[in-house]
Amino acid sequence: MSNLSQKDTVPLLSVEGLSVEYNVKGIPLPAIQKASFELRAGEAVALVGESGSGKTTTAMAIAGLLSPNARVSGGQVRYRGARLPIDDDAAMRPHRWSETSVIFQGAMNALNPVHRIVKQIAEPCMLNLGMSREEATARARKLLELVGISADRGSAYPHELSGGMRQRVMIAMALACRPSIVIGDEPTTALDVINQAQILKLLVELRSKFNLALILITHDLSVVAETCDRVMIMYAGEIVEDGEVADIFAAPKHPYTRLLIESIPDPAKGKRVLHPIPGDPPTLLRRPSGCAFHTRCPSSLPICTAQVPQLEERGPGRVACHLYSSLTHADKVLARD
Amino acid sequence: MASNGKDSRTSHGIVKVIVRAAVTLLMVTVLNFTLFRVLPGDATSLLLGGARAAVSNEQIEAQRRNWGLDKPIFPNQLLDYMQATARGDLGYSFKFRGQRVSDLLLERLPATIALVGVAQIIAILCGVMLGIYAGWRRGGVIDNVATSVALALYSTPAFWLGMVSVVIFSTALAWFPAYGAYSPGVSTEFLDRIVDYLRHLVLPASTVALGLIGQYVLVARAAMSDVVSEDYMVTARAKGLTSGQMLMRHGFRNAMLPVVTLVTLNLGYVVAGAITVESVFAWPGVGGLTVEALNARDYPVLQGVFLLLGASIVVANLIADLAYGILDPRVKQ
Amino acid sequence: MTELIAESRRRGRRLAIIDFLGRLLERGGAWVGVAALTFFLVLAAVPGLLVGPLETAATATGDFLAAPDGQHLLGTDEAGRDVLNLVVHGTRISLTIALMSTLISLILGTTVGITSGYFGGRIDTWLMRITDFFFIVPPFVLALVIAPVFVEVLGRGREILGFRTSLFVILVVIGLTSWSFVARIIRSQTLSLGQRSFVDRARVAGSSDASIMVRHILPNLVPQIAANGALVVAGAIYTETALSFIGLGDPLQPSWGTLLSLAQRAGAASAGAWWYLGAPGVCVLTVALGFVLLGNALDDTFNPRRRVIP
Repeated sequence: MSNLSQKDTVPLLSVEGLSVEYNVKGIPLPAIQKASFELRAGEAVALVGESGSGKTTTAMAIAGLLSPNARVSGGQVRYRGARLPIDDDAAMRPHRWSETSVIFQGAMNALNPVHRIVKQIAEPCMLNLGMSREEATARARKLLELVGISADRGSAYPHELSGGMRQRVMIAMALACRPSIVIGDEPTTALDVINQAQILKLLVELRSKFNLALILITHDLSVVAETCDRVMIMYAGEIVEDGEVADIFAAPKHPYTRLLIESIPDPAKGKRVLHPIPGDPPTLLRRPSGCAFHTRCPSSLPICTAQVPQLEERGPGRVACHLYSSLTHADKVLARD
Repeated sequence: MASNGKDSRTSHGIVKVIVRAAVTLLMVTVLNFTLFRVLPGDATSLLLGGARAAVSNEQIEAQRRNWGLDKPIFPNQLLDYMQATARGDLGYSFKFRGQRVSDLLLERLPATIALVGVAQIIAILCGVMLGIYAGWRRGGVIDNVATSVALALYSTPAFWLGMVSVVIFSTALAWFPAYGAYSPGVSTEFLDRIVDYLRHLVLPASTVALGLIGQYVLVARAAMSDVVSEDYMVTARAKGLTSGQMLMRHGFRNAMLPVVTLVTLNLGYVVAGAITVESVFAWPGVGGLTVEALNARDYPVLQGVFLLLGASIVVANLIADLAYGILDPRVKQ
Repeated sequence: MTELIAESRRRGRRLAIIDFLGRLLERGGAWVGVAALTFFLVLAAVPGLLVGPLETAATATGDFLAAPDGQHLLGTDEAGRDVLNLVVHGTRISLTIALMSTLISLILGTTVGITSGYFGGRIDTWLMRITDFFFIVPPFVLALVIAPVFVEVLGRGREILGFRTSLFVILVVIGLTSWSFVARIIRSQTLSLGQRSFVDRARVAGSSDASIMVRHILPNLVPQIAANGALVVAGAIYTETALSFIGLGDPLQPSWGTLLSLAQRAGAASAGAWWYLGAPGVCVLTVALGFVLLGNALDDTFNPRRRVIP
């Protein structure tokens, strides 16, 4: 599925110690804390976490789509080795859609209700690729066929299509300018199970066909298994575990990951909803001291209340947890507050 | 709005909308008829007034038969009245003896249309544009100032602003004339007359415009604000559009839907709104006629005006309904 | 046991009211609105105390159309009357007409709205057709046509309930023409409330329709009625001012609109008598704005949502 033999080449995307905070009525709220990871060409990574974990902010930061009240408070993002000016709206424009595109939840209003869908797909082609209207429209029709929608339906308006079809339109639109990275922001969350399976299958096909790097944001681990090579688990704005899909599912290290996997619904029971992990994720305002998860962790140590665990390589993959950290056992036991 | 635009896409729906408009007009006519009949005394005594005593009873009876007033009110007189109205026969004015009401109205209509037309253009250009700008860039000085001023304007009677503007721009500064549409003694040169007319038009048109601007700013701002927070605006930004492109290609069209509806509806109401303003500036339009008729208890003219206002309101509502059906593709079969 | 429940319910309600007032007064608009309205209500309540009895042409003491000075804070009118005196007395007329006509509108609108929404079917259809008519045709226009007829029928120059005919007629007519806005809103609220289970429970328990409407649905509508009521008052003030301005008012009981009409006829504008036409206008503007702000604040407090119009 992925090309790990290219370890010597420069990674497509490199996020280095990125921290982003939101300014809400004068109060800075940290959304991401020192996130670091790499993405290689053609690699598919899932960003998994509850709401408020920072997964959406991370993806939006990569795409240069941070909201105006967000501020990069540390670190940087590199694309093909060069620094991305993610907090400069105008400077990011050439990068948008042609290098990194986004598949939003099309079930909502992500498509403009007063424009025909072929026009919406053609728009970025004219804008970013300099195509004429005819060329762009022809390309749009081809893209529709690619995602399994008959080109005749191009003159339809978004509200005339079903949820599943709207999502396909979003995918066709995302591929319009031949990007290297495609970010899927919960692309199947609002769909029923059948549509979800179809969309995921489509994504897998397209990804291998165009060798796209995929970043899939989701809170549903069952979606991850089918589509991605790697998984990153985020909690309270930090990456707490990062590894190959097979490894994570077979031997999850971080207690949070373990709880997530244990709560994957059994298809026989027919439920899609994540079983709640006891407690609530911390709000951006009141972050617990030390490890953010220690308040809900079944295996927390005294040191967990005092020190923030660092994301470290541990066997295959990385994990940020004191159970695996390089401190000696004695240090962990003695480190009361 | 009487309907919500959902009706206007199907042919069945269009018929429904038109029927509703016709029924409203019918109700206006019946109301006219009923009010007149409710008045104490009858047409003869109203017309003759004090001269009643000088006329013999036989003459009065003959005249009543002549006018069909001896027939039963319901349904004969009502049907007669409705037929006459449909023919365009709106009766004769009490005050302007011998003149047909329809003639009076037609004579005064152009001046009102000129006034209202110019005012709408000004109001749309200033109000809608300002509102869109304020809604696009929420917060900031311009937004707050515009919104506060708009709110104040919205709560102020427009005709009072007219009076104030007379004091400032006419009496104090002498920039514009205060009354009428023409100055006495202006030369007969076509250009001179046009300029004179326009000079007289400035203050009343600005006054009517001010009455509209408040609404337009608030509604355009609200519409644009809603649009700005929609998901498709995020999609547009993600595609690499500039701020200006997002506004023009995606924001504008969606924000315009409620604004167009408001503007179209207003076309119907603004004639009514012009009544008070024409009174302030002695502008020779339908509004001025209405006030004169009111004070002279010239009921036929009042009824004619009511019919006219009712018709313009109904037609404007109709156009607004149909227009919305055309503009919003979500409103479909 | 029931004593305790009743007592805790009462306390709960008191706390709810205090909480509500707190949230309401958080909004800047509410403060401005309340302040302005309190000021004018005081003026309306005791005009005589503040400026003495209403001046007439006979009791006027000033020069004609004199500018404001120490003796006449707002100048004089064309008959030498003190404008401040006229405006303060006008407060009572304008406010009373506006508030009472709104009361009529609210009663009519609420009744029509609840009935329409509760019963549905043909009753709803016909009531809504009538409501549509009154909604489409603006109150000002209807009043314009109806008022002179009513005045004629009642007879000019009479006094009804302390009001002279024309004012009484204006009051009633504005009330009879401004209710459709309220009716529509109440109807939609009733429709959504009618779906709720407590209505079914009441019906099963055997309550009559009227009882359900009054005792169960109506109390839930009070927030909506209050918020919209403020806006209706603002509209009523505007309509009364406009109607009085074009001549339907009464110079013996001058409202602010009537004062403006008198000013216009006296040529105040061309004479530059800004005090004469400015004062009543500013009053109308302030009171209307106050009600609009209050209405918006009430609406916000009852239905907190992202409000775009401040």
